[in-house]
Amino acid sequence: MVMAEPRKNPPLALRSLVVPAIFIGPAALALVLLMAVPIADAVILSFQNWNGMKPPTWAGFGNYIRLTQDATFFRAIWQTAYFTICTAILQTIIPLLIASLLNSGIRGSSIYRTLYFMPVIISLAISGLLWAMLFEPNFGPINTVLRAVHLGAFTQLWLASSATVMPSVIIVSVWQSLGFYLVIFFAALQAVPQELYEAAKIDGANAWHRFFNVTVPTIRPVIVIVIVLNTINGIKVFDQIWVMTAGGPDYASATLGTYLYSIAFGAMGASNSRLGYAAAIAIVILLLSLVVSMIQIRLGRGRDIDSQIEK
Amino acid sequence: MSSSAAMPSTRRSSVRFASTAWQLAFTRALIHVILILIAIVEAFPLVWMILTSLKDTHEIFNTVLPTHIRWDNFPRVWFAMNFPLHLANSLYVTGLTVALVVGLATPAAYAFARYRFPGREVVFYAFIGVMMIPPQAILIPMFQFLKSLHMLNSLTGLALSFVGGGTAFAVFLMRTFFLSLPRELGDAALIDGCDDFQVFWHVYLPLARPGIAAVVIIQSLYTWNEFMFSSTFLISPDIKTVQSAVFQAVGQYATDYSALCSGLIIALIPVILVYLVLQRQFISGLTAGALKG
Repeated sequence: MVMAEPRKNPPLALRSLVVPAIFIGPAALALVLLMAVPIADAVILSFQNWNGMKPPTWAGFGNYIRLTQDATFFRAIWQTAYFTICTAILQTIIPLLIASLLNSGIRGSSIYRTLYFMPVIISLAISGLLWAMLFEPNFGPINTVLRAVHLGAFTQLWLASSATVMPSVIIVSVWQSLGFYLVIFFAALQAVPQELYEAAKIDGANAWHRFFNVTVPTIRPVIVIVIVLNTINGIKVFDQIWVMTAGGPDYASATLGTYLYSIAFGAMGASNSRLGYAAAIAIVILLLSLVVSMIQIRLGRGRDIDSQIEK
Repeated sequence: MSSSAAMPSTRRSSVRFASTAWQLAFTRALIHVILILIAIVEAFPLVWMILTSLKDTHEIFNTVLPTHIRWDNFPRVWFAMNFPLHLANSLYVTGLTVALVVGLATPAAYAFARYRFPGREVVFYAFIGVMMIPPQAILIPMFQFLKSLHMLNSLTGLALSFVGGGTAFAVFLMRTFFLSLPRELGDAALIDGCDDFQVFWHVYLPLARPGIAAVVIIQSLYTWNEFMFSSTFLISPDIKTVQSAVFQAVGQYATDYSALCSGLIIALIPVILVYLVLQRQFISGLTAGALKG
């Protein structure tokens, strides 16, 4: 092999910046152009009035003040919170319980997991379209089945009634995400040392006690992650609701995501699309997401400290 | 454990059932019953969709099973909804997005993992910060941005709109992966006379394949399934991706559920096929992405 000629390196300090800059530069540029600039634009736009055609005019805090007087906005906030809290609870408890059943040493657990995971890979839009058919009140299969088994009294208007639309939307979310959170919990459960269960058994703990006193405390960090993931997804919820109800009937399933969308793009062609106002809602969603993410980081740090103390 | 001999009864066997082999078998059976019921609930919508897609339009609402299996709903919808075009559109957007994200994120993730340089923490936290931005927050500005570039209603423009968030996430995921690779490999290659870029290209990139694979899977699935940006930024019917095209077709088919279900199935087939082939990588990639992200 030919000896490499001694390379003429620039001074170390400079060199230590140049190489990383070459590696990171393109990605950083993409992030600035495609995320940082749009976010800055959104913030600026939230202080403007703009219909997308004429040049925007400054509005000061006008959009935000109008938000505080907008009953539909508060309804959307309430429904976003409702969706987020319900899904965060149900989509933590149900997958955790089922994962525990799968982890009880029964046969075929991988078959069940594969099956349960199927809905996860389906897009939110497609599952929304599918469930819109399932929920159809007159000839949709859910009501048809209920009538067939003489439970006609339990038939609902589902998506078409303001009383049942939110629970219906939540059912779809639980159905679709079950396999995802279940797989996360299952992996965590597999890592729980078997001796802990045996010790608990010897102490006479029944299945419930073992679940609450061994399983839950041991995998608590994963439970926290799942709750946070659910919360972040809940704040952003849009696709499935937009596809199924577009926020209706009469805003009964409007969330921050669908309300923003219907203001900015829902009235396409109509002259009064209020982009500044929609941007203000976007900023609210952004801030809520950031707060939850901060909490997540905090919790993550706390966890690291915990595990260090235990050692 | 022997099945014939009765299990030694527990010390406190007073009122409590002794845990016998019978009881164990009963518990197992009960667990299977619960799991099968859940499987039925999870599968019902998909089975119903498949059955409906095979029905004659007249019997959609009358029967559970199709009396005559009608395969012709598929070609009918395939051509009426112009699926070849939309599948090609989705494929293009997905391919371009994944290529851009992997191309941008891999070197950046590598540099964050390998080099110490002034400002590294700040820049990295900026990347993480970007990851937390919900898509709604950039929806309107991105619309205007693409419009100003004359890239609204363009598949390339749509792919660009995904690159920012995708890159931030991929950097985060792959940095952890690069951190798990031994430093010494690169140091040895440096001593042998490789420069920094050769070390990256010849030493670490081949080792990073599993990390890249995870990013490719997550990003492909996300891009293929994305709905909000694609139905907003793509306007003319011919340019729509599968998701936005199917959504747009709903009104037109109203209660023609056979057609709609066939359409949904066609839209799902690519993802399902990839899932069945790459099942393990899919499940581990997606959950790893969630846990780290």
